[in-house]
Amino acid sequence: MVTLQTLGDVLDVGVLCVDPQLVVTGWNDWLERATGKRASLVVGRPLSEVEPQLRPSSRSALEQAVRGTTVVMSQRLHGYLIPIPSPSGLERFAYMQQSVRILPVFSDAGEERGAAALIQDVTERVTREDELRTAMEAAQIANKVKSDFLASMSHELRTPIGAMSAYADLLTDGIFGEVSGSQREPLQRIKSVGGHLLGIVEQILTFARIEAGRETVRPTEIDAIDITKEAMVAVEPLVSKKHLTLSSEFAASSIPMRTDAIKLRQILINLLGNAVKFTQTGGITITVSLPSEETVAFEIKDTGPGIASHDLKRIFDPFTQASGSLSRSHEGTGLGLSVSRELTRLLGGDIVVASELGVGSVFTAVLPRQVP
Amino acid sequence: MNLDAFELDSLSELFNVGLHRAAASLSEITGQRIVVDMPKLIVCPIAEIEKPLTDLIGGEIATVHQIFGGAVVGDAVLLIEHDKAALLAKLMTSGEAAGGGRLDQSAREVLAEIGNIVLGACLSGFGDMLELPVSFSVPRIHIESLKSILGSLRTDAAEPQYAVIVATQFRLSELAVDGYMVIAIPATSLSRITHALAERFG
Repeated sequence: MVTLQTLGDVLDVGVLCVDPQLVVTGWNDWLERATGKRASLVVGRPLSEVEPQLRPSSRSALEQAVRGTTVVMSQRLHGYLIPIPSPSGLERFAYMQQSVRILPVFSDAGEERGAAALIQDVTERVTREDELRTAMEAAQIANKVKSDFLASMSHELRTPIGAMSAYADLLTDGIFGEVSGSQREPLQRIKSVGGHLLGIVEQILTFARIEAGRETVRPTEIDAIDITKEAMVAVEPLVSKKHLTLSSEFAASSIPMRTDAIKLRQILINLLGNAVKFTQTGGITITVSLPSEETVAFEIKDTGPGIASHDLKRIFDPFTQASGSLSRSHEGTGLGLSVSRELTRLLGGDIVVASELGVGSVFTAVLPRQVP
Repeated sequence: MNLDAFELDSLSELFNVGLHRAAASLSEITGQRIVVDMPKLIVCPIAEIEKPLTDLIGGEIATVHQIFGGAVVGDAVLLIEHDKAALLAKLMTSGEAAGGGRLDQSAREVLAEIGNIVLGACLSGFGDMLELPVSFSVPRIHIESLKSILGSLRTDAAEPQYAVIVATQFRLSELAVDGYMVIAIPATSLSRITHALAERFG
């Protein structure tokens, strides 16, 4: 015959039954093994005698159940119902940690007959949860240290790089004397490299701010088409240098939006710049469309080598490129796509990518017309 | 079946007493001061529950579900937005319950206990004040969408079903967490409750 107590043994839980006066009426094999107290010596005795260290909260829970209320005793709020020494190998806790359900027991006629407490040993699970939490906290601290380091180094680099570009400008303008034709080109190169370095530093700073949760959104009324054209102008020098084409298709001549103009421009410059960087022949097309009344889609399509399917998820990871982990075959920090996606999400949208090896890739940023 | 203003007021008061009892129990267990706001009630046919509930809550929701029976029968569900539920569980256990904003197994147990106390305290008011004793199933906790919750509440029962939506706020430390109860109840049980209210308070 299956009783509650034998069922408890099958399910590996303790079953403690008490009558309305809290006299023990049931004590299953699980409890015998866990406490070392035989059922024959326990049944029929008051629980307070069997467990002299029974806490008032445990007593109160059993009394509540005997009066007809189902009681839940979670480990985190109570620890345990009855004190049982902790299982060996898990000495972090002095007593076994328990998850308990106490059910009222009624006769067929509906009379109160007492309560049955189902006791589950969760000591191991709680120990693992605590270890995991500690590891997560350590990882969060390490991540913050990394972000603080990135921000600090970038700040330190920004000033001298800015100064270098400024002096190159002053020299080019002849402030320190006339500049010959043969000197002009190297000065332009210094300015160009300085601008490139500054772009990298800004990228790292943006990444560090996003990670620290310090990047704020400043929405204004803008025109999505104007911002797109500005981004296209920014990447045109690189497009020309690589003899690629850059074309556009717009769903309307003007698409009003309320969003952060600087961030939207940065997202589009990153995506266009990325497309140009990885495309050797052919061209890039940017399409701005309206998938719904509330959203705007910016689709950047290239004729690059494409991305393997197993790389598609990884390309948004910071400091990685599709070709490998930290070893990069193309110049850049490996932050462009990561930053673009985080900024897009800050503006209430997201970026998706589709790609075919040997054909090219399509990155689509979908944004709400009104930033949330 | 429409409840008049008196019946709605009386039902609100019943739930208010229950919620305060629950807050007192939780305060005693956790050693922290927990208070609840005066609840707002909406009563509607179960087929019309989607709009009022969608206006109140969305996204990932932590639910504690109990079935009750006896003099009145039905389903009772406590709903709290997942992120707030994780924070509530964490604060109630002095920062130990959940890591990373997700509900781990221990935090789910804490929520099951909270749900059991809140739902039990509110519904046992029917028994204590209205002499309509009820018993409860063991609480089950889920993390689910509103759509899934609505699906589990709607039944093909021949008898008309009603929903009593109870909206309140739990406050502890500086945190205020919106909590909602949905009591899905057949017309005969709701009628029994309104009769008992009229006899008790009328």
